[in-house]
Amino acid sequence: MKSLLKTENLVSYIGPYTILQGVDIEVGHGEAVVILGRNGAGKTTFLRTVMGLVHTRSGILELDGQNLAGMPTYAIQKLGIGYVPENYGTFDLLTVEENLRLAMWKEDAETMERRDYVLDLFPDLKVAYKKYSKTLSGGQRQMLSIARPLVNNNKILLIDEPSKGLAPVIIERVALALREIKKHTTVLLVEQNFALACAVGERFYIINEGKTVENGVMEDLIKDKNLQAKYLGI
Amino acid sequence: MSDKINVSDQMGSQKMKPLALVSLAVLLIGMFILPQYLKNAQLIMMSRIFLLAVYGMSYDILRGYTGFINLGQAIFFGSGVYMGVIFLNIQNDLTYFIIAILAVSALSVIGGYIMSKIVLKTGGVVAAAMITLALGEIVRSIAERWRFVTGGQDGLPMRASRVALDPLFETRVGAYYFALVFLIVMTLVLRQFVLSPTGRVLLSIRENEQRSRFLGFDTNKYKTIAIIVSALASGWTGVFFAVIARFANTDYLSIQYTLNALLITLVGGTGTLYGAIIGSAFVTWINNFLLTVANSYPGATILRFPMLFIGSVYILLVIFMPYGIMGAFYRLQAKLKLGKVK
Amino acid sequence: MGTLITLIVSGLAEGALIFLMASGLSIILGMMGVINFAHGTLFLWGGYAYMFSYYTIRARVILSVFPDAFQTGTQGGLLEVTGVQLQTGQVLPFTQELFIFVVSILIAVAVVFIMGIIFEKLFINRVYGNAPAQILITLGLQVVFTDLVRVIWGPNMIPMSRPPFLDGVSSFAGGRIAHYNVFLIIVGATVAIIIHRIITKTRIGMVIRAGLQSPENVEALGINIRKYFTVIFASGAALAGLGGALYMPLVGNVVSSAGMNNQILAFIVVVIGGLGNFMGSFLGSIFLGLMGVIVAVFLPAISVVANVLVMAIVLVFKPEGLFGKAVNK
Repeated sequence: MKSLLKTENLVSYIGPYTILQGVDIEVGHGEAVVILGRNGAGKTTFLRTVMGLVHTRSGILELDGQNLAGMPTYAIQKLGIGYVPENYGTFDLLTVEENLRLAMWKEDAETMERRDYVLDLFPDLKVAYKKYSKTLSGGQRQMLSIARPLVNNNKILLIDEPSKGLAPVIIERVALALREIKKHTTVLLVEQNFALACAVGERFYIINEGKTVENGVMEDLIKDKNLQAKYLGI
Repeated sequence: MSDKINVSDQMGSQKMKPLALVSLAVLLIGMFILPQYLKNAQLIMMSRIFLLAVYGMSYDILRGYTGFINLGQAIFFGSGVYMGVIFLNIQNDLTYFIIAILAVSALSVIGGYIMSKIVLKTGGVVAAAMITLALGEIVRSIAERWRFVTGGQDGLPMRASRVALDPLFETRVGAYYFALVFLIVMTLVLRQFVLSPTGRVLLSIRENEQRSRFLGFDTNKYKTIAIIVSALASGWTGVFFAVIARFANTDYLSIQYTLNALLITLVGGTGTLYGAIIGSAFVTWINNFLLTVANSYPGATILRFPMLFIGSVYILLVIFMPYGIMGAFYRLQAKLKLGKVK
Repeated sequence: MGTLITLIVSGLAEGALIFLMASGLSIILGMMGVINFAHGTLFLWGGYAYMFSYYTIRARVILSVFPDAFQTGTQGGLLEVTGVQLQTGQVLPFTQELFIFVVSILIAVAVVFIMGIIFEKLFINRVYGNAPAQILITLGLQVVFTDLVRVIWGPNMIPMSRPPFLDGVSSFAGGRIAHYNVFLIIVGATVAIIIHRIITKTRIGMVIRAGLQSPENVEALGINIRKYFTVIFASGAALAGLGGALYMPLVGNVVSSAGMNNQILAFIVVVIGGLGNFMGSFLGSIFLGLMGVIVAVFLPAISVVANVLVMAIVLVFKPEGLFGKAVNK
């Protein structure tokens, strides 16, 4: 299997602080992979490093064999990486419609088709289409945040902790949507919520203190209580 | 910001090496002998360098040690110059000099306190800079309109024609020593302040204000202290400056003199304290140099605007040498040390 | 009643001018997180560029129509400002006066727009995210470019009259209203409406609104926000330049200290209106303009300190500004 996103011994830094100290992750076409780990382990920083928001110091960072390190964020996104940032990252002063339009690479028929698909996936957004996103609930903002990159034809979708701050009922709806989305798109999910991670992920990686320490098939992790206790504190 | 080298740690913990001590002693002796060989104009320039060095250091206490950019610092310096001229015009002796010092002290404490009350409310560096700029310009324009005290745009000359302060000195050489002693005393005082527990807290605020707050420090209280100490030192320098310059005008209150302070610290290196001495020498010298050149080429309009050159140097410094001369020196030193350890 | 109308009109005119300065400053601060201490200089350059084009073009036009007109000139700096005295009875037709005025304004705006691009490309973009360096570097630009004005056009005040067709005064409901003031209000209102429409209706407006909140997240949507930064910085500069061009005929002269004075007014507006809050700077400008005239008439003694006093009071009681701030810097 040829990998889509691949990192090897990835090291990245913010100012003088090295945050990632060797992350090896491979995501194949069509896969749904979860990254787990404690708070502050470096999961979010990993996604931000892929997006070029945190600078890569050394190691390999490739999409489809193309080096991403040193590229500006907007150019990385244009290569086909959809990014759902931590804490939604939706724009309060923009309506739902504008949030989606801002994300569109171009406004052609294909894009509009994808937008309609997304709106069917999240009917809440259809109802609130003309509303400013600051009037949305946390769950709706998360849906908008996930919906936004889907208007483009991405190769891979990076999602940063979609369960954060949401009620369990809402998390369930998000999980359902993600299961639907992963049928069409490669997904790399960072998640603290173990149930959501299990519902979406096929394979997993665990990051601890800036390094990937474990990986495998999701079923194995579900069985392995020791591993869960050691790195996830479950 | 966090890759800044913690300079005060080096200043404090590092015991002075014999070599440094000897060279310092030689430098000081040299400074005391020097006037024998200087002409009047050079004496004035040296005295200016000493005083502007203190002004620079007083600014560094604020800018370098708390990260707070006060664009109204000249208010205090200029007030000092005015106080000096006004009181010494009553009688040119030590008593009135001390009265001027006391008056400007009261003014600096009150002014500094009011300024910090207004400025620290909004928190950020940007808002503070905007507000202090406005405060400074307002004080300047009030001074410009308050003719019968300040002489308005014409300025306020000192009546006594010679540089003298009865009974301390009555020559330029005396004024030189006067300024030099002030520089030495203020360097020691400000060094002590920077190394004191209060100074340490200020430094920690610069590095990470939030952390200092979490540690339980009332950061605004410490910033207020820094603003007042810095205002005091600037005010005092202003009074000394009046003795040498024998003239006060609103330029001393204006943004131009705040920029001078900024430039002095920037050349020397912010947060290094002693850097201001180097900075002052550089800035005063270049000013003098431009003046001389402009006088020998009266046709060259462009030379009549020294701020054009000084401002350009300043921009280049911000871009290419943000840590200044002393900053670069400390960095080199740190690098060499690191090399040795390895 | 009559005085009140006169006051309100001239206050609104002042407000419109302040708004031209403050709106650009506010958007640049809000979206790019950049505080521009050279804004007053851009204003000043707008004024001088306008003055120079106006005099130069007008002299040419007049001499081509009336070859016997009396030519005067002032030389304070490197560039000579040509003035032309019309003889009694000689009047330029309205269309030509209008042409001279509009072209001079456009030249001023263009000059400052280009300066904005240069400032952003050469200096500002080195210091994004570093507020202290931004303050220092823009302050340096302020000093250098203000002195450059003095080198080019001389340090002395240059008189600047209003274009003849805007120079009149009319009576209205007992008040005397200067036509130029009405003109300023119309320009200010038009600019405000245009900016509002750009912000609410266009893609660049969407980027501005999104960028106010998080430039990073805008970039993560595949948008090269740096490209927008250049355009927005230059547009803010152009607004300041327009303000400068319109300000000089209002006060009747061009002088190099005008930049700093007006910059401080704009800063006060931005602080009391709330940092980066566009609506706040709009309302703040009107407020400051009205207050300025009213204080000047009724309490002239405190007119110098009134603005700063208001700012101080607002900060002490409502540090986030009257209308809330969009950014926390």
